[in-house]
Amino acid sequence: MAESTVRPAPPGLPAVPLEALRTRGLRFAELARSALRNPTTLLGLAILTVIFAMAIFAPLLVPVNPSGALQMPRNWGATNAPPGTPGHPLGTTPNGGDVLYGIVWGARTSLRLSLTVVSITVVVGVAMGSLAGFLGGKWDELLMRLVDVFLSIPELIFALAIAAVLGPSFGNIILALAAVFWVKYARIIRGQIMQVKQNEFVDAAYVVGESRWNVYRKDVLPNSITPVVVQATLDMGHVVLIGATLSFIGLAEAGLAEWGNLVSEGQSGIAAGRWWVATFSGLMVFLWSLSFNLVGDGLRDVLDPRTEGR
Amino acid sequence: MTAATNPLDRPAALHAGDHVLNVRAVRKHFPIKDGVLQRVAGHVRAVDGVSFDVPRGSTVGLVGESGCGKSTLGRVIAGLLDPTDGGVFFGMPAAERARLDALLQVPPEARSEAQAAELGDIDQQFRIDRLDKHRRRHYRRNCQVVFQDAFASLNPRQLVRDIVGRPLKAFGEASGSALTERVVELLEQVGLGRQHLYRYPHQFSGGQRQRISIARALALDPEFMVLDEPTSSLDVSVQAQILNLLHELQRERGLTYLFISHDLNVVRHMSDEVVVMYLGRIAESARSTAIFETPRHPYTEALLAANPDETDREPIRLSGSVPDPARPPQGCRFHTRCPVATPRCGWEVDDLVRIAGESEGALDGLKGVERRDPFDAKLVFDTSRQATATARSMQRDRLPDALAQAVRRVERLDDTVAVSLQSVDEPPLVEVAPGHRTNCVLHHDEL
Amino acid sequence: MSADDHQPRSAAAVDERPDLDAASLISVRGLRVHFETKRGRAHAVDGVDLDIRDGETIGLVGETGSGKSVTARSLLRLVPMPPGVLAGGSVLYRPKQVCGACSGSGCTACGQVGRRPIACRACDGAGCEACEHTGRHTVDLLRISDTELREIRGNRIAMIFQDPGKALNPALTIRQQIAEVFLEHRSGELLQAAGLEDGDRRAGRLMRRSAHQRVRGIERLMLKLPPWRGRQVKLSTAIDDAVIRALEDTRIPNPRKILTNYPHELSGGMKQRVMIAQALACDPDLLIADEPTTALDVTIQARILDLISELQQRRGTAVLYISHDLSLVKRVCDRVAVLYAGQIAEVSDVAELFRRPMHPYTRGLLAAVPSAEQQRGQLRAIRGTVPELVDPEPACRFHTRCDAAVPLCASREPVLWERGDGAAPHRVACFAHADPQVLGVDRRELPVLDEGSS
Ligand SMILES: Nc1ncnc2c1ncn2[C@@H]1O[C@H](COP(=O)(O)OP(=O)(O)OP(=O)(O)O)[C@@H](O)[C@H]1O
Ligand SMILES: Nc1ncnc2c1ncn2[C@@H]1O[C@H](COP(=O)(O)OP(=O)(O)O)[C@@H](O)[C@H]1O
Ligand code: SF4
Ligand code: SF4
Ligand SMILES: [Mg+2]
Ligand SMILES: [Mg+2]
Ligand SMILES: [Zn+2]
Ligand SMILES: [Zn+2]
Repeated sequence: MAESTVRPAPPGLPAVPLEALRTRGLRFAELARSALRNPTTLLGLAILTVIFAMAIFAPLLVPVNPSGALQMPRNWGATNAPPGTPGHPLGTTPNGGDVLYGIVWGARTSLRLSLTVVSITVVVGVAMGSLAGFLGGKWDELLMRLVDVFLSIPELIFALAIAAVLGPSFGNIILALAAVFWVKYARIIRGQIMQVKQNEFVDAAYVVGESRWNVYRKDVLPNSITPVVVQATLDMGHVVLIGATLSFIGLAEAGLAEWGNLVSEGQSGIAAGRWWVATFSGLMVFLWSLSFNLVGDGLRDVLDPRTEGR
Repeated sequence: MTAATNPLDRPAALHAGDHVLNVRAVRKHFPIKDGVLQRVAGHVRAVDGVSFDVPRGSTVGLVGESGCGKSTLGRVIAGLLDPTDGGVFFGMPAAERARLDALLQVPPEARSEAQAAELGDIDQQFRIDRLDKHRRRHYRRNCQVVFQDAFASLNPRQLVRDIVGRPLKAFGEASGSALTERVVELLEQVGLGRQHLYRYPHQFSGGQRQRISIARALALDPEFMVLDEPTSSLDVSVQAQILNLLHELQRERGLTYLFISHDLNVVRHMSDEVVVMYLGRIAESARSTAIFETPRHPYTEALLAANPDETDREPIRLSGSVPDPARPPQGCRFHTRCPVATPRCGWEVDDLVRIAGESEGALDGLKGVERRDPFDAKLVFDTSRQATATARSMQRDRLPDALAQAVRRVERLDDTVAVSLQSVDEPPLVEVAPGHRTNCVLHHDEL
Repeated sequence: MSADDHQPRSAAAVDERPDLDAASLISVRGLRVHFETKRGRAHAVDGVDLDIRDGETIGLVGETGSGKSVTARSLLRLVPMPPGVLAGGSVLYRPKQVCGACSGSGCTACGQVGRRPIACRACDGAGCEACEHTGRHTVDLLRISDTELREIRGNRIAMIFQDPGKALNPALTIRQQIAEVFLEHRSGELLQAAGLEDGDRRAGRLMRRSAHQRVRGIERLMLKLPPWRGRQVKLSTAIDDAVIRALEDTRIPNPRKILTNYPHELSGGMKQRVMIAQALACDPDLLIADEPTTALDVTIQARILDLISELQQRRGTAVLYISHDLSLVKRVCDRVAVLYAGQIAEVSDVAELFRRPMHPYTRGLLAAVPSAEQQRGQLRAIRGTVPELVDPEPACRFHTRCDAAVPLCASREPVLWERGDGAAPHRVACFAHADPQVLGVDRRELPVLDEGSS
């Protein structure tokens, strides 16, 4: 072939796994490089880095509220304080909550919310979708009927209904969102698997005596998962948006350091000129979902099978 | 169906010796799903009653146009699809084979209990979809496949080492560095080397990928390989490399090949025996030299004549294209395109309608067709004038000779035209010369 | 692209290049098309010289990736740019027009094909710089405006593709597909055939849109009313007639029946016929056929080939026939150009090329075709694969795979040398056929091919 001289086997073995690592590493590096070449992806990543840093270093930025880290501290002495007030650089809410505290610790809440919801839904959705797509037949029909039912209800209304029935709490919001979002993943992964299953390399795996589980694990899943990764990234933003909406209409625990809660608390004051509460928190929601969208789009371009590995 | 009258075309009595594989009356039908409810609207008869043998150490070529069922048959043989009917028998000794053939000659409903039990026993030992776990594993490691598409048959996310080493891992033969060394050996056998171990498939050319596929298939040291158009996605220059490699491996390891291809030059070069398929059935099978020098089927002749390298052959041009395998033609399946078809070849109502439809004005205003059977039907028109026009286009002198002679009756009554044709069964595959089977009635007459 | 981007492959090329057949329909000169890729600049087409004469069938063969499709697409500027880059060269096209003596029906003056060359407008046929002293009206397809090009595409130069399924618009019926070509390039004649005067441009435009079923609202109403309704019917009859005539030419039985079918309802062979009908609808000067039968079965392939050559002979259309199958080319072509890694390796008449292949690559391709005579396992494969085209060295592109290669092959680029005798022109780019004096090297430095091989 192109290299007609076969290099002699190197003495000893340690070089070998290293080479494998390098090939995989190179591939990753190339993906990363092409992702970073896109300025909008870069912007999204930059915003995310700032927000994540905020979430991680929250205790250093704003002292922890002794009555519960994710609870808004109340300063009844300074309600509706405008930004710039000493001790409250971003002002306070009508209940005397520090907006800065809400913004910084709200990043933690958002991260917790989106990570929990997305990981639950990805696991459930991928499992269900895989059963349907990989096993096919009866399983497929059953599960897809279920999915159709879920899909026929608008997701926000569905989440609302669940949250309303279960009562306002952070845990219930997670539950409500998870109940809505898994369907999407089930659909995506099922469609992908149906396509990937047609590939000859899947048949080839059966022919060499591989078990069904291994075929699923090594051939089908890895080649179907990309759109799920992209969707999950987009949903990291989306979840917070819907979570904020739920809080906004009062379905979250009162007093939770959460951006949607802040928007909700601040909205009544806007007419009276107290713009800061809703604006800062609204901006955070916006930035959060925007940056995940940017990164998700970037990932989609990079992971597109048509451009990958060329 | 007519095919039921000859459930088993007898395999050629050519080789008494050792066979790797025996295919007996295999059918594979795929349901056609329709509408929202996914109702089964019919079946694609991809493989429709095929029997042949694969002698050990030889190469059997399987040719035919695309869609005639070659790959489907290959997949059934490789155990990737379960046959709808019939069976594939692997590694069956001559005595059992004779027993099986004798038993299969008895129609299922006429079998005695003892015969049925004996058949079940043979099935359990040799029929690939009935094997017990241990035997199935034996079959699995001895029957490997190289697929057509050099690009789709390698998992894009696995490194070459994992792809080629996979069979060894699945059978628990090796792991870790021992596996790596085995993989290197295999790669070297197919002209690749250690430097290719840790690369992804997309880093290779088509020919190199096909080499990787071959290395994977060789890993378990199989007896038998199904090669499904292994070179059709490659250039001639690279094809020559792969064909040479395959031959060399066959010589060294005593491999047996089922070589699927639509390229006659390649099949001629590679095969000892050739099976020609048309619409899910065997049209002709014989030794390679016999097929190419004295073909005994018009379809084979047409294939040969279409080969651009055969400039000395009188060009035969087939009309039309391969019919829908969900509704194969009656009688000889090839009669719709056969340049030498006779009145006995299975002309049916559809042919009459199709040929009449080629003349201007015929079939205008056709409302419906009431079929009694494929050879007898009533065509209903809007007006009697339209019926007359159609009936006129079906007059004998306006039809091809063979069809005209097969027509029994074309009668117009008001707005209907009643047509009926000679009814014919599907011709069986008959051995007309030692080892040479054909289903063409013209050649049956030679007997 | 300015003209001085065009660099000959080496100084010797200018002196050695024989006068290209002056009256050829198309003269591709030093065509270079590159692609920007992650790994660098891929020289997909790298200095292709090719002449296509009136009415001939010329084959373009080579392995996959050798640049056949890119060359063909460049003639009509169909290469996507970016990533493509036109790095130099020109495609001179010398159009023909309807024969004045017989107005297209065929006479002795035009050799029965009904079309004749146009005299150069600058020199009236005497020969000048502008027409490269051919006396024929000449345009450079790589430099004319998009509007001019559109007038040529599909009309004077048509193309059919490997995969008829993808090239036909799935949303249009067969009638619409073919009518589109007529309406685009022949609307005047259609209006005339329908008995409608040509001058009324507004009417013409409306009719065109109506034929495309792209009229909305009030216009649609208008078309149903008396003065328009009549015209509408006349026009659509004229279109139908033209479409049916085009389909009949391709031997489709009872073409009226398939007018309202959609492409997916037809078989592959039938689709290819529709595509041919569409391509030949306007009697083009050149038909580019890019592997038109690769996707078809052998039995259907033979019939399509017959059809193309029959239509071509009747109409005097030149055909650029692209294929990777030498046996097919042997059967249908008058001349053959062998392409390797973006350059022409050898050009000659078909009979001559197959009798006396000169380039080691051509010989390799011919020997690699499996046949009954060759012993199994003894096929003469060309070792290796097509090299990377990224930033190639100045060397014979084939030297990595050539058995006869000598050091010279790896350090200089051969150019096409004329090596035929008068009767059979034959040009080859291999040092084994070079004149050592012209190259300024010793004869012993040149490679030697074992004769009689292939
Ligand atoms: N859009 C593109 N972007 C980048 N590279 C391209 C593009 N189109 C073609 N190429 C490159 O140009 C070279 C020539 O391609 P081309 O399609 O002309 O080959 P070909 O001779 O027609 O091959 P085939 O027989 O496979 O059709 C190849 O290396 C190909 O990868
Ligand atoms: N999984 C499937 N489901 C439905 N139809 C199929 C399937 N596989 C093949 N077929 C049909 O069976 C016929 C034979 O196909 P195939 O064996 O692939 O032909 P070949 O390999 O000879 O080109 C074709 O009509 C094809 O459409
Ligand atoms: S039986 Fe023979 S002659 Fe009759 S249609 Fe079939 S192939 Fe042709
Ligand atoms: S120039 Fe040299 S390398 Fe190129 S084809 Fe001729 S002999 Fe071979
Ligand atoms: Mg196939
Ligand atoms: Mg091409
Ligand atoms: Zn004339
Ligand atoms: Zn001039």
